[in-house]
Amino acid sequence: MDDTNYITMELTVNGRRVSKHCRSGRRLIDFLRDDLNLMGVKEGCGEGECGSCTVLLDGKAVLSCLTPMEKAIGHEVITIEGIGSANRLHPLQEAIIEEGGIQCGFCTPGMIMSGVELLARNPHPDRAEIIAAISGNLCRCTGYQKIVRSIEQAAQKMSSS
Amino acid sequence: MKLHGIGVGSMVYGVGYGFARPDFATAEVEAAADGSLTVWSGASELGQGLRTVLCQIAAQEFGTDYQDVRVVSADSEKTPDSGPVSASRSTYVQGNAVLQACRDLKEELRSLAAEMLKADPSTIEFSGGYVFSTTNPENSIAFHILTGQLHARGRRSHGFGWYDNHTEDVDKETSQGDAYSSFAWASQLAEIELDTETGEVTVLRIASATDVGKAINPKLVEGQIEGGAVQGLGFALLEDMKVERGVFKNSHFSTYILPTAADVPPIDPIIVEVPDPKGPYGAKGMAEPATIPTTPAILNAIADACGKWLKSTPAIPENILHLLGVLPDERKEALSIKDIPYPPF
Repeated sequence: MDDTNYITMELTVNGRRVSKHCRSGRRLIDFLRDDLNLMGVKEGCGEGECGSCTVLLDGKAVLSCLTPMEKAIGHEVITIEGIGSANRLHPLQEAIIEEGGIQCGFCTPGMIMSGVELLARNPHPDRAEIIAAISGNLCRCTGYQKIVRSIEQAAQKMSSS
Repeated sequence: MKLHGIGVGSMVYGVGYGFARPDFATAEVEAAADGSLTVWSGASELGQGLRTVLCQIAAQEFGTDYQDVRVVSADSEKTPDSGPVSASRSTYVQGNAVLQACRDLKEELRSLAAEMLKADPSTIEFSGGYVFSTTNPENSIAFHILTGQLHARGRRSHGFGWYDNHTEDVDKETSQGDAYSSFAWASQLAEIELDTETGEVTVLRIASATDVGKAINPKLVEGQIEGGAVQGLGFALLEDMKVERGVFKNSHFSTYILPTAADVPPIDPIIVEVPDPKGPYGAKGMAEPATIPTTPAILNAIADACGKWLKSTPAIPENILHLLGVLPDERKEALSIKDIPYPPF
């Protein structure tokens, strides 16, 4: 007998109302990737240590690999797919490209979401605040320096526009 | 008490496989009727920026826009074999193969352009999206018109390149000889602060100078230098792979500690350009060379600060306190690399 439990996930994802009948008891990252096909949410370690799976839950950066999917019911989730498009990038996405704050790209979505959260609550962060905000996001390629500069540049872009 | 130290680390690195080992790359390039170019490269993109560099090489050769080049890379169904991406060889070996493929196709384009312009093929140049004879630069053909004609007239629109980077082996008796076709050089300075009470080492600044031959894309080269320094810093201060009987004992990010943004000091990337006679536009391999000197530079800075040499990494506070004699000596002996059982079975 199939004893799988089902649930209806009703929430807002990237500005759209979502209502989806699906298996319950999974992680938020599984719901976002497997049910909504939001592949920009990356699973690095799956145990809350690398930050690759960072998404915004009601504007707050959370690790979607440690968040039960049910916690998002009735709330608002924003992933990397929700902050800009190929034609209209988020200022931080633009800055990452201009500064070269990206190499293999695996940490990038999580890194950007941490940066977006920082810039939303603190439009003019100093270098120490930027470093603190992304210190939960591991990057093996860039050496972080160009990512920090990207966030600084994005802060300038956003305050002048 | 806080001690201050500065250390230097330097290295020389043989680019590619050397020692007569197979070391080659293959590339193809096609000009479409609309002037866009497709490059097939056997070497893969890992984030180091190889696709970008290969686009730049093709655009440079045909005098077209970088945006008009696409790279199909590392798909055994579609691309030719170029061997592995390793030994800091991809820009050097794959870049040369793409250069050859472009020059192979340019021969056909040059001969067609010479016919259309009624000029000598040896005077044909490709620049700024136009093809012209140096004898009469005013009379030019747009590159996409030329490639359109290439297709309309049924001419060859495909170029092939194969670059062989294998070298002779060194002399069996004397070990003398040119083991590698190219050598890269790098030198780094690290400035540290050592807390004698806690044993903590803080890197304050790293200056990293790498001879890259020619920086085809300076921003990507800086990225390799900065990333390399942070990998070297992790090896010096944090990373300690514990293997017991073939099993990796600390295979989590909470137990195998990587540097975070908070561990990284300001890094000054210094690009040194001494053109390599065989590299594409003088470029040579530089990725590993940017990583290697960091750890010795930091360990030398620790020795400069406290007057004692740490003989194994990482320089975690515990090991530093053993080094300073704050913690008892027998534990210090246990850290010696010769005590690690080998082989582990």
